[in-house]
Amino acid sequence: MVAEIGPSNIESAFLLEALKKGTRVDGRGIYDYRTLKISCGPTYGLAEVQLGQTRVLARVSCEVTRPFPDRPTEGIVLFNTELSSMAGFGLDSSRSSTQEVAISRMVERVIKQSRAIDSEALCILAGEKVWTIRIDVHFLDHGGNLIDAASIAAIAALKHFRRPDVTIDGEEAIIHDVRERNPVPLSIHHTPICVTFGFFGASGDMLVLDPTLLEEQVQVSSFTITLNSHREICALNKAGGIPLSPDQIQRCTQVALAKVDEVNEKIQLALKASTA
Amino acid sequence: MSRPDRREASQLRALNCSLGQLNRADGSAQFSAGNTSVVSGIYGPVEAKVYEEKLDRAVVEVKFRPDIGAPTTKDKWMESAIRNTFEREILAHLHPRTLVQIVIQLREGDGSVDSAAINATSLALVDAGIPLKCMITAATCAVLPDDTTVVDPTQEEIDAARSTHTFAFASGSSTGPLYVDSRGDFTMDEYNHCYELCALATERVLAFMRTAIEGKVTKEAKISAA
Repeated sequence: MVAEIGPSNIESAFLLEALKKGTRVDGRGIYDYRTLKISCGPTYGLAEVQLGQTRVLARVSCEVTRPFPDRPTEGIVLFNTELSSMAGFGLDSSRSSTQEVAISRMVERVIKQSRAIDSEALCILAGEKVWTIRIDVHFLDHGGNLIDAASIAAIAALKHFRRPDVTIDGEEAIIHDVRERNPVPLSIHHTPICVTFGFFGASGDMLVLDPTLLEEQVQVSSFTITLNSHREICALNKAGGIPLSPDQIQRCTQVALAKVDEVNEKIQLALKASTA
Repeated sequence: MSRPDRREASQLRALNCSLGQLNRADGSAQFSAGNTSVVSGIYGPVEAKVYEEKLDRAVVEVKFRPDIGAPTTKDKWMESAIRNTFEREILAHLHPRTLVQIVIQLREGDGSVDSAAINATSLALVDAGIPLKCMITAATCAVLPDDTTVVDPTQEEIDAARSTHTFAFASGSSTGPLYVDSRGDFTMDEYNHCYELCALATERVLAFMRTAIEGKVTKEAKISAA
């Protein structure tokens, strides 16, 4: 086996010909997600997502630290989304390509900047002690569309996580051991979920939802929309590629709205199953 | 003195494994003992970089990724320990000028992580079809402050222990261990006792691995025969 050299001309041509007839190489409809499996636990804050052939693992952990001096009443949220060699030979965080960096930044942005986690609720003693929540996303298998799988894993892990309970007694804070008092969930405002589309053809007139690795290698443009269950747009991301029309963006948004509900339901089921 | 999870002193936690779950990797295995869970992925034999290739054998590279946080020196140490253990047991002379890359991802850590990593890697190498001299199985022991010795300790037990010992043995070999890691204050008697307990424990792990591999091979034979 050699390092990635991209798809052959025959593969790309076949993919495009099939798309012109409205079918995809793996037999899906253009707006179909691959089989999505989410499993949480047993450790609190562990979520593993299998989206077709893509597999992502997310771990959430917490630590008591000092807050940032300019934000004394807010907790800290740290992200680590390294692409390791396990996901694909030659994929290494030490030689991260722009695409890999984009994936990491995207997942981080989606959760941090959309204020999904209530940072004020992470404060223990203003100016002195806050919770630092750390989210580690590990990519185990790169089968295409890492962003969607990673965002689902991250938010599922955050919702599954339990931090130690704290009692404030004046100037003192008592952090209870998890065996003394049940740990408590994080305060999460909403559930942002990324939905990625790939575009094909000279004017980007053919599109697919949830591209596989082959589709990602052939696509001319990519567009990710992040929505939550309240039908709010948390983020739009279209970095480079051929230009798209506002109509196409609208169409994608409508499709994504329906898909986000399905994904949310699956996350709820997975969370319920883990506590059963 | 009873253990927090009510196990016997020489009782392993519930073992679980699954092979070949990853699509991109040539071979993979997930191994878990209780709440300690490790995934090992193998790429190989693949093209080695010119500056790292060896003319007469395959080069073995190990990457160990912790579950939480960025890799630290502890993880680098684990990488080197696992590489040293497997380098001699892989029949590297059959694949000169190639690379066998072992990537280990810790999913959950609750004690005895190094033995879980070694066991997962053994299974993953078999799944990848990398030629091996033998199976390598590992087990960990801890000597507690009350002088009892327990097998497959949890993190809680390791934190309280006076010494911990991990042994890895080659299957079907009557010679000594391939890998030994002992930490803490201990006497030679305690060391020998741990050695014996781990040797017995690794036999059970080997039997478990054999069942798992036989199951996979039988299933594949059915599929290709159908």
